[in-house]
Amino acid sequence: MRLRWHHLALWAALVLGMLLLPYLVGNGTLRTMIFANYLAIFAISWDVLSGRTGYVSFGHPFLIGIGAYTTAILTKRFDVPVEISIPLAVVATMVGGLIVLLPALRIKGSYFALVTLAFMELMYQLVQVIRPDLTGGTRGMSGLPTLTRGAVNGFYLSTALMLAIAISMWLLMRTRLGIALAAIGMNEESVRGSGLSVTRLKTFAFITSAFIAGLGGAFYIHYLGSIAPRALFDINFLFTIIVAALIGGAGTVVGPLIGAFFLTFLLEFLRPYLPGAERYFVYGGMALLIYMYQPKGIIALFEAGLGRLGRSR
Amino acid sequence: MLQILIQGFLLSGLYALIAMGFTLIFSVGRVLDLAYGAYLLIGGYTYFHFSQTLGFPAAAGLALAAVVGCAMGLAKFRLIVKPLGGGHVAVEISTLILAVVLQAGVVLVFGDSSKILLPIVPGVERLEGATVPYSNLLAAVASWIILLGLYCFVRFTHTGRAMQAVSMDARGAVISGIDSDRINAITWMISGALGALGGVFFASYTQLYPGMWVAPLIISVAVVIVGGIGSIIGTLVVAHIVGFMEITVSALIAPELRGVVTMLLIIGVLVLRPRGLFGREEI
Amino acid sequence: MFRGISVFGATLVGTLAVAMSAGAQIKVGFIGSLSSDTGLSTLRGAEIAIDELNAAGGVMGQRISLVTADTGEDVTEGIKAYEYLAETEEVDFIISGSIDDVSLGWLPRMQEYRIPTLDTWTSYIGIIDMVVEEPELMEPYFMNIASDEALATLYINFGADVLKARMGWESVVILAEDTAFGGAITGLVTDALAPVAGIEVKDTIVYDIGTVDFAPIFSKAQASGADFIYQVSSVNSQVISSQYVKLQVPMPMTGVNVSALGLEYWDDTGGAGGGISTLSPIPSVGFELDPVSQEFVDTYQARYDSRPKLPHFNGFNAYHGLKQAMAAAEEAGGFGDVSAWAAAMERQDLKLEKDGKLWLRYGFWGRDQIEPVTQRTYPHNALFDLEPPYDFAQPSMVVVQWQEDGSVGVVYPPEYANMDFSVPSWVPVK
Repeated sequence: MRLRWHHLALWAALVLGMLLLPYLVGNGTLRTMIFANYLAIFAISWDVLSGRTGYVSFGHPFLIGIGAYTTAILTKRFDVPVEISIPLAVVATMVGGLIVLLPALRIKGSYFALVTLAFMELMYQLVQVIRPDLTGGTRGMSGLPTLTRGAVNGFYLSTALMLAIAISMWLLMRTRLGIALAAIGMNEESVRGSGLSVTRLKTFAFITSAFIAGLGGAFYIHYLGSIAPRALFDINFLFTIIVAALIGGAGTVVGPLIGAFFLTFLLEFLRPYLPGAERYFVYGGMALLIYMYQPKGIIALFEAGLGRLGRSR
Repeated sequence: MLQILIQGFLLSGLYALIAMGFTLIFSVGRVLDLAYGAYLLIGGYTYFHFSQTLGFPAAAGLALAAVVGCAMGLAKFRLIVKPLGGGHVAVEISTLILAVVLQAGVVLVFGDSSKILLPIVPGVERLEGATVPYSNLLAAVASWIILLGLYCFVRFTHTGRAMQAVSMDARGAVISGIDSDRINAITWMISGALGALGGVFFASYTQLYPGMWVAPLIISVAVVIVGGIGSIIGTLVVAHIVGFMEITVSALIAPELRGVVTMLLIIGVLVLRPRGLFGREEI
Repeated sequence: MFRGISVFGATLVGTLAVAMSAGAQIKVGFIGSLSSDTGLSTLRGAEIAIDELNAAGGVMGQRISLVTADTGEDVTEGIKAYEYLAETEEVDFIISGSIDDVSLGWLPRMQEYRIPTLDTWTSYIGIIDMVVEEPELMEPYFMNIASDEALATLYINFGADVLKARMGWESVVILAEDTAFGGAITGLVTDALAPVAGIEVKDTIVYDIGTVDFAPIFSKAQASGADFIYQVSSVNSQVISSQYVKLQVPMPMTGVNVSALGLEYWDDTGGAGGGISTLSPIPSVGFELDPVSQEFVDTYQARYDSRPKLPHFNGFNAYHGLKQAMAAAEEAGGFGDVSAWAAAMERQDLKLEKDGKLWLRYGFWGRDQIEPVTQRTYPHNALFDLEPPYDFAQPSMVVVQWQEDGSVGVVYPPEYANMDFSVPSWVPVK
């Protein structure tokens, strides 16, 4: 594992900056940061699976939804305390990750994307049909226990969660294991040729991604205090996650993080000027332009900018 | 029973038309056009604007919808697919973004609430308890005519044969002197027109609303996956399987289970027979 | 010298006073969908009320300003919107045109911030139950539409008086959407129709609000053998009603169809909406207006030329409700002391008369006041009357019906009716 001091310094600066933030900005901005943190978690989770291994998942809300629904049902219907329901939700999501893994053992590329999309749609339909007395049917559930009260506490909790996940993923990707994962995305055959078990690596990536998705989904739902299938198993939600990862820069840890913050703040920034659907028009249009111009995302634009600065010096 | 048979046939014809445009792109261009549903969206709203709001005749509205779909298809090919140079994932993702942008655009222009298309031909026919609106009948008949026309086009015209060639072996086609760019552009235009026309019929069957691109996209995906890439016959057969399954389930079991069987079909076939039930033939 | 200083001092004081009065203002937040007729009705009702209040010198000498937050009828967006109003805009009062599920989403945030909030569209009785059970937490919350339990109770009378007694229908199949609103109304109607109106419920079919093809659902309804269909639809309602007309389903249908509450219904369905009747909160389309409400409509129509051309009932609720909230603030010395404001809000009472008769009343049930028909309390819910001759307040709802020629009117209760209930021409009369 190679660690450079300036990387560590940058992470330390980020942690410090986030800790100090509540003293610098208002509660409204903190609330926006909370949503950005959760989106960053989801985007990192997507990236572990899709950005690294190249298996593009169009069904990530399926995983997040399993985590969210498990803890929501346990706490709301069975009065299970949150300390127990969240770990259970994470485990359930990891099982869900294995379900998604099954087709990935046989099919690749566009077909894999489609089957995951079908998983998400199936989940949306099933939640309404199977035991609506538990899931709350189409309308979902409200009045779920919340973990924190107030913007500052919610901010610290979500930030701690997001940074813990981001830093561990960053460290993980620096190990041989992480490098092997990325190699699957480049060329699966050559990884197999070099004697590594591709199946085992894929299983690891899918379970890690599901672990993060479950953790994020469970905490997210206990922040919102309500859950609705239409908001969760939705192409627009999927779109936000994928776009955050790609706009920031897929295949990195910092990329999805940057993307999530950029998009969330863009949306909030537009709120006073463009109240309704106009926001999504502008937001989607910008995402499309950035993606068309630089598919590697903001982080690549940034590096290119730095490189140019370096050259001109 | 008769009710199920009639409703099944009407719906399946429409599904075949909708799925065909998607299949074409998948087999000739080898990419998934996730903004395919947006043709239906834009086509439906175009027809609504011209024929219902401005009072153009229905035929003119349909023609305009097809023209707009055609233009969208061409624009999509020139501005998005070609610049991305055929990267599958890149095309899938950018078309997904495009679909969401177009949906927001429709909300901007027409608002959030659903619109109801007047029946293209008003009136109903009753057959022993089964109700057949003339409009749905027209949609099914028109779908069959369009599909037949497409089949003839692909089989018997020079351009159609070139499309077949590109779909079977893009590189080989180029070597034998086919301008694959031109063929691709034509395919995208046809796909757009098919989608837009399908959208008018789909909307007259149901309703117009900004999120209406998702359901037909899922249906197209199901038909393409189960039918295997790029076979007109496969698409037709599977459209009927999906259509009949939906009608049977919602009439006999529970309306809310309607989509579940379609999803299970997609997942089952992809996992068990990744090449689809019908394997790969020419388009 | 002395004079110079005092002039300077006076100028300073004057400037400060101006600066303070310009700075101090009452900030109202609107939460709701900015692209739906429902949301816009509340927003515009509030805008007109605010302009009238400002023209009359504001409230407590302060100007009222309005900021908006869009929910897009999405629960998560609704929570974000409430947070935005509370923490970025720091509003004093929130007026809501949210649908039921969205209100349920942001209610925990309201309890956290304790911002006085008035809901003008949501009618979910579960929220009033929360006011009963947790009066402290729900103190800032008011709902100035009759709750759905009150709507359903009076609707049962319509079933008994008209559907059973006049039309001779004895059994019903319920077609209900799967939403909080649909679930609540369905439960209430199912429980009460048989015992009170003597109408048997043969089957209940629940459908998803994304349903686009109703043909199989209508087939199923017909197969149940019931005399008529009772529909419960608040989202995308024009779809089910227009397909009913397109398919010419040979079975009468009535119930709740929220899209039919707006004047645009006729255009949206392309004229394919005749024969549809719906329960409507008051005032509805086809409802005769008292002079005060008529003046509001005239102002509204002079000011806005986009849809909705006529505000839905929640537009009226927002107009009168916002003025009442400001009057309560004036009594309580502002919105800061929520308990004082809530107590003053409970005392608000506006009676509007038409031709010397009580026509509309805007006020709230007291904490311990028991409604005589349902024998329960409705704290912080709008006043309503469930018994003729409706001299305590207006009925909780009226039934309106669209005719096949595009005209619309009230068919029940008789005291407010201007038209007779009928079935569409293609439905065989029993």
